[in-house]
Amino acid sequence: MSTLELPALAGSSIDSSSNLRAALRELARQPRVWVGGLILLTATVLAMFAPWIAPHDPLDQDLLHMLAPPMWAVDGSSAYPLGTDGLGRCVLSRAIYGARVALTVAIAAAWGSMLLGSTLALFGGYFGGIVDRLISYVVDLWMSFPPVVLSLILLVGLGTGVDKVILAVVLVDWTRFCRVVRADVLLTRRRDFVLAAQLIGFSHWRTMLREVLPAVVPLMITLFSIEMGIAIVVEATLSFIGLSVPPEITTWGQMLADARNDMQSAVWVLLTPVGCIVVTVLACNLLGDGVRVALDPRLRQRAG
Amino acid sequence: MLQVISAIVVRRLLLAVPTLWLLSLVVFFVLRILPVDPLGMLLPASATPADAAALRQQLGFDKPIPQQFLIWLWAAINGNLGTSLNFRQPVSQLMMAALPATLELSLVGLVLALLISIPGGVLAFVLYQKKREAAADLTVALMQSIPSFLWSLLLIAAFGVLWPVLPFSGRIAPDITLPGLTGFALLDLLLTGQFSGLLSALAHLVLPALALALGFAPLVIRVLRSSLIEAANEPYVEVARLRGLSESRILWRHILKNAALPTITMIGVQFGFLFGAALLVEMIFGYPGIGNLMVQAVKGNDLPLIQGIALIFCVLMLAITVIVDVLYAVLNPRMRNL
Repeated sequence: MSTLELPALAGSSIDSSSNLRAALRELARQPRVWVGGLILLTATVLAMFAPWIAPHDPLDQDLLHMLAPPMWAVDGSSAYPLGTDGLGRCVLSRAIYGARVALTVAIAAAWGSMLLGSTLALFGGYFGGIVDRLISYVVDLWMSFPPVVLSLILLVGLGTGVDKVILAVVLVDWTRFCRVVRADVLLTRRRDFVLAAQLIGFSHWRTMLREVLPAVVPLMITLFSIEMGIAIVVEATLSFIGLSVPPEITTWGQMLADARNDMQSAVWVLLTPVGCIVVTVLACNLLGDGVRVALDPRLRQRAG
Repeated sequence: MLQVISAIVVRRLLLAVPTLWLLSLVVFFVLRILPVDPLGMLLPASATPADAAALRQQLGFDKPIPQQFLIWLWAAINGNLGTSLNFRQPVSQLMMAALPATLELSLVGLVLALLISIPGGVLAFVLYQKKREAAADLTVALMQSIPSFLWSLLLIAAFGVLWPVLPFSGRIAPDITLPGLTGFALLDLLLTGQFSGLLSALAHLVLPALALALGFAPLVIRVLRSSLIEAANEPYVEVARLRGLSESRILWRHILKNAALPTITMIGVQFGFLFGAALLVEMIFGYPGIGNLMVQAVKGNDLPLIQGIALIFCVLMLAITVIVDVLYAVLNPRMRNL
């Protein structure tokens, strides 16, 4: 038995490292992965080093320069590259600081929903039976709420704050992962290599983590990326309504709410937060699409 | 046919009972772990702890939570959803006034979304594996990155502020009163023959419905495109080609018809998304629908109202699954002989 096992294992380890390299090569060939990745990387760097990059404190009010236009306008000034809002705060600095909340929520909420949703999907899909039916029922139950309504209700229950927003997104959106990943686990479970692992006598635990999980990881990466975009929109929505964070923390949603109030006198104030949200969400969607096309063998054959 | 439909409806309704019960339970308990006191807003600043206790008792908030739930559930079964804490009106009355507005907005939004996404999906399909596919993909990805509430703000900026041609607040001009027949403004005004009112209501509906449609359309375009690609690979397409049918006839009469089924299913599943988007759109446009009511309820910690609206949203979602199931049965020839 052990003599039979050795070559098989050695073969699989070589296979998996070359698989990884092949996957990375596929990813690198996707322009969508590059564009999406670069935008997200830039946004992350801006967010991390916001205090050094932003020209002003995002809360500093310059009451002599309220609703100043951007620098390229006729009476714009280079002190406020993107102009100021209704309270005389630097729009560029607020946009940069807003990226902090947006990306924190995006990354943390996407991780949380992925962990919760995929774990349940793995268990349900692998073991089937009553566990699977129970999990699927809860998913169906959850999905009979409009997601926004559910997150509003959760925020009423949880209170406000960035951590609460993250928790609310996780508690709403784990179903997205669970449903899609479960379907993939169900398919993978019937594949030959999983049956082989079970025949060799690997434990369920090991089969699940070492054989089934790697097969569904590409799907999880795609969903993760798309979920980041969704989380950014949800956070912006909640802070736009005024439920997400206290006013001393700058968010894109708050900038939108302020811009809405000043719209009659200065329309351009709206453009910066809208641009920030759209570009970041687009980057997440492009990255997700790129990963899906690169790592899904069916799509790759079609495209190639 | 009728038998199939009634079987679907009965099965769905039976399944709906435990679902609604469980969902109300979830909402009820989530709302009771609240760190904020819902009574805070109701009491005057000079209230004594004794006043607070009296009010708490009067509203039933002093009882244990499971008992509160049973009381609420029993009343809800009897059609009484309680009284809104902030509006001091029965929850059911508030919701009945707001519900038609939301349904009207969602339906018009859905129709507009289909008007955008059916040609859009077909265009994306025609460009599939062509030179301009990348541009089409990018356009759809960009559209998908602009949620309805951003469209609302952009549309207001464009057609309300920069080029002020359309109203962007409320449901109808303030000097016109809606005839309260069905609650559906367009229908009521049409029935009573008030055409100036009808024009005003339509003008007020354009921007919010368009914002809703633009946010929803990319989802439909994507599903329609992939369904079309799938349907185009079926053998009957080749047969139609061999019979000498023109490509456009094959596309519009055969492929599109077969791609419609998965698309309808997806629209049903995603209707929650549409309602969620409508919530924000209503709030931004000051449109007196159920979503706007929800935002006000959430801001004021109005527990009975939140609970009632959550229930209504669940009922709406369940109703949509029934409609989608029935549509599926009606449109799918394979289901006809059952």
